Amino acid sequence: MTLYLVKRLGVLLASTAAAAVVVFAFMALLPGDPAEIALGVNATPEAVAELRSQFGTDRAPVVQFLDWAGGLAQGDFGTSYVTGAPIGPQIGDRLGVTAVLVLGGMVLALLIAVPLGTFAAVHHRNLLGAAISVASQLGIAIPAFLAGILLVFVFAVQAQALPSGGYVPIAENPAEWLRGLVLPWLSLGLVQGAVLTRYVRSAVLDVMREDYLRTARAKGRGATGALWRHGLRNASIPVVTVLGLQLATLLIGAVVVERVFVIPGLGDLLLNGVAQRDLLLVQGVVMVLVAAVLLINFVVDVAYRLLDPRLR
Amino acid sequence: MSALLTVEGLSVGADSVELVHDLSFTIGPGERVGLIGESGSGKSLTALSLMGLLPEGVVASGTARLGGRDLVGVQEARVKRLRGSELSMVFQEPMTALNPLMRVGAQVAEVMTLHGRSRQDARQRAVELLARVRLPEPAEIARAYPHQLSGGQRQRVMLAIALANEPRLLICDEPTTALDVTVQKQMLELIAEVAPALLFITHDLAVVASVCERVLVMYGGRVVESGPVREVFTHPRHRYTEGLLAASRLTPRGTRLPTISGSVPAAGRFPSGCVFRNRCPHATPACETAPALTGDGHAFACWHPAG
Amino acid sequence: MRGRTNAGLLVGGTLVGLVVLAALVSFFWTPHDPTLVDAARKLREPGGGYLLGADKFGRDTLSQLMVGARTTLYVGIVAVGIAALVGTPLGLAAGMTPRGWLSELIMRVNDLVFAFPALLLAVMLGAVYGAGTLTAMIAIGVATVPAFARVARAATLQVMVTDYILAARAAGRRRTAIAVRHVLPNIGSVLIVQASVSFAIAILAEAALSFLGFGTRPPTPSWGRMLQESQELLFSTPRLALWPGLAIAVAVLGFNLLGDGLRDHLDPKLSRIRGGEER
Repeated sequence: MTLYLVKRLGVLLASTAAAAVVVFAFMALLPGDPAEIALGVNATPEAVAELRSQFGTDRAPVVQFLDWAGGLAQGDFGTSYVTGAPIGPQIGDRLGVTAVLVLGGMVLALLIAVPLGTFAAVHHRNLLGAAISVASQLGIAIPAFLAGILLVFVFAVQAQALPSGGYVPIAENPAEWLRGLVLPWLSLGLVQGAVLTRYVRSAVLDVMREDYLRTARAKGRGATGALWRHGLRNASIPVVTVLGLQLATLLIGAVVVERVFVIPGLGDLLLNGVAQRDLLLVQGVVMVLVAAVLLINFVVDVAYRLLDPRLR
Repeated sequence: MSALLTVEGLSVGADSVELVHDLSFTIGPGERVGLIGESGSGKSLTALSLMGLLPEGVVASGTARLGGRDLVGVQEARVKRLRGSELSMVFQEPMTALNPLMRVGAQVAEVMTLHGRSRQDARQRAVELLARVRLPEPAEIARAYPHQLSGGQRQRVMLAIALANEPRLLICDEPTTALDVTVQKQMLELIAEVAPALLFITHDLAVVASVCERVLVMYGGRVVESGPVREVFTHPRHRYTEGLLAASRLTPRGTRLPTISGSVPAAGRFPSGCVFRNRCPHATPACETAPALTGDGHAFACWHPAG
Repeated sequence: MRGRTNAGLLVGGTLVGLVVLAALVSFFWTPHDPTLVDAARKLREPGGGYLLGADKFGRDTLSQLMVGARTTLYVGIVAVGIAALVGTPLGLAAGMTPRGWLSELIMRVNDLVFAFPALLLAVMLGAVYGAGTLTAMIAIGVATVPAFARVARAATLQVMVTDYILAARAAGRRRTAIAVRHVLPNIGSVLIVQASVSFAIAILAEAALSFLGFGTRPPTPSWGRMLQESQELLFSTPRLALWPGLAIAVAVLGFNLLGDGLRDHLDPKLSRIRGGEER
């Protein structure tokens, strides 16, 4: 296990480094010189050259990359060419907001999917089980941002019970913070919950056919008891794999949902950065999101091993 | 001496198809009975109906009593208490019968805590049981996960689970079919030694001969012949038993291997009357009427018996 | 079981057929010019030649939806095409040499690409080349390659241990010949299912990208942008969000059901025989 952990950690670091190369190379292709853009068309060549050396964009790409990547390793994302503000703290602030959004959505999705999916599997032969399957199919067909728009229509426009957007920091007003997050959480959680319900259902269905469940019943357990004691942990193994993939999807879904609800998270920062052609900022945010996906994959792989003794 | 298990008029069916028809037999205390038949004969369903573990949509009727307690047509909550304590079962496939995520010892202990033993007591006794089924280093095996054991070892663990609460009847459904030949023999000897009373299901005549005292031959969901193993195997009366024995006998080189012509029909496709008549070389129009299972001790259901 | 399988195929096929039909018809006929801006028809209520009404620029909603179907299918076909054409050979190669360095390399690169979701790729591509239908299609396609490669690899690994492949290898057939003649036809059904599911995901991605302004540019109609434009009018004219939202849901549902239906239909493992003695 320790050996695996070390190896897997190595893979994580190597892929993060490779991802950094890809992100940097991509952005280096960007036409236009940040210094020229910053100073406008009327700038003197001398001023541009000076700004260039200030930005460090006059150096060879390899040097620039090493400088940027070296900074990243220490949590330094550089300074924006456009606003002149350091990027790291901005990303730090926004990351917290997005993380709350994503984790809340995931928790909600699990709260929906685990009971519903299990129920649908146990009752797969009757109407209610089939109804859950149909409902989850419909849920999957609705993208998170569309769910957001529908929820705004129902809860903000019709019922006027919740805000249609905006974000209040928790330190300012915890109650408003919560009210503002309800609809974004629901947008992400309902859709992901629908996706997960299907996976939970099929995992539980598979487990229900397993011989060891029959063994458990032969020991004197009822069908439900056998499923609880022996089925759910086994069923959780494939679900954990999917959970990792979904968490990555959710992270990206959050970018769009932030736009729907005007929430100042990473997605908002990223899209603003693109709009303002803030190269280094976009580079930084993309890197953080990609690293988050890689980290999630790492955690899932390790969790997988912990759950299944056959892989230890 | 009164019987331990009494089965009377047991039928098992799914939808409108009858899979086991009007089965009656008894097992005395300490008796070892073989239930033999090809796949599709209904032998596994018979066992599962006694355990109350029939798959969804399959229903049993008739009566089966174990020491005065009903097993068929009773509420699940009541049969549940008997499973694993009064009667227990070892299945065919040892590789998949154990929970892969749980230590072996815990899986043996579980069956005891379920029926009222304290956790600590059960854990200790689990190791003793593993020793009883002749697993070397039982304490270490108890800490292992199923995937770390061989098929034969896993089947011994299943046997330990089955024996844990000193049941009155042990049912084994092809317990050695999935094992290596060398392991099979040891396993059979162990089962014969530890079983309180035994219902042993198999398609293998040699296995029945080595383990059981009495045999029931099933075909098409019915018992077609029953009696002491030695007698049935040396003087088979039903034509199906006769064919089965002939097919299993080792034949000298060059002679044609005798087989039963045709194959076992699908469930619900057996002929009316004698279920074997469409494959029987001795069938006559008389066989269109179902023969009854008659005879004391050695009974058979055939209009044109052999010998 | 059988009945449900057919129901999935039937409903999925019908919904997909509906979207395809709308797209095909839009080439020859739409009720109005979908891009025609007319202040006189601004936010026109449904009815009288404008079945679903008009938007804030006076553009006919139904006509936009029809041409939007074209955009959706176009992006889906190209994206899934890229993913299938690149992902299948990679997965095939990795599956046929499971212990080789090539397999290792392919799967590692695959994992790396997997860390770049379609949205991020589209944002990056958009930042460099300017956002549009093309960058969206490429981004979605590239982001879908890993899924195809994984599925193709897993299916190939299964096929490689079957007797007929072993026989072909024992007979000394060349690897590429085995791949094309024996493996590919046998993993075809898996790939078709994957294509259908990927199509649904591509539609979702395209809608999200257009919603964010990283997809199809105006004036070409797209469902995602229709939604984005409708958002500010949600309080006054919610129907503008309803129709494109419904269109997206119908298309995604259709491709998902089609994929599931095909899977049940093509995969013999899932159509288990009912009853029988041994369970």
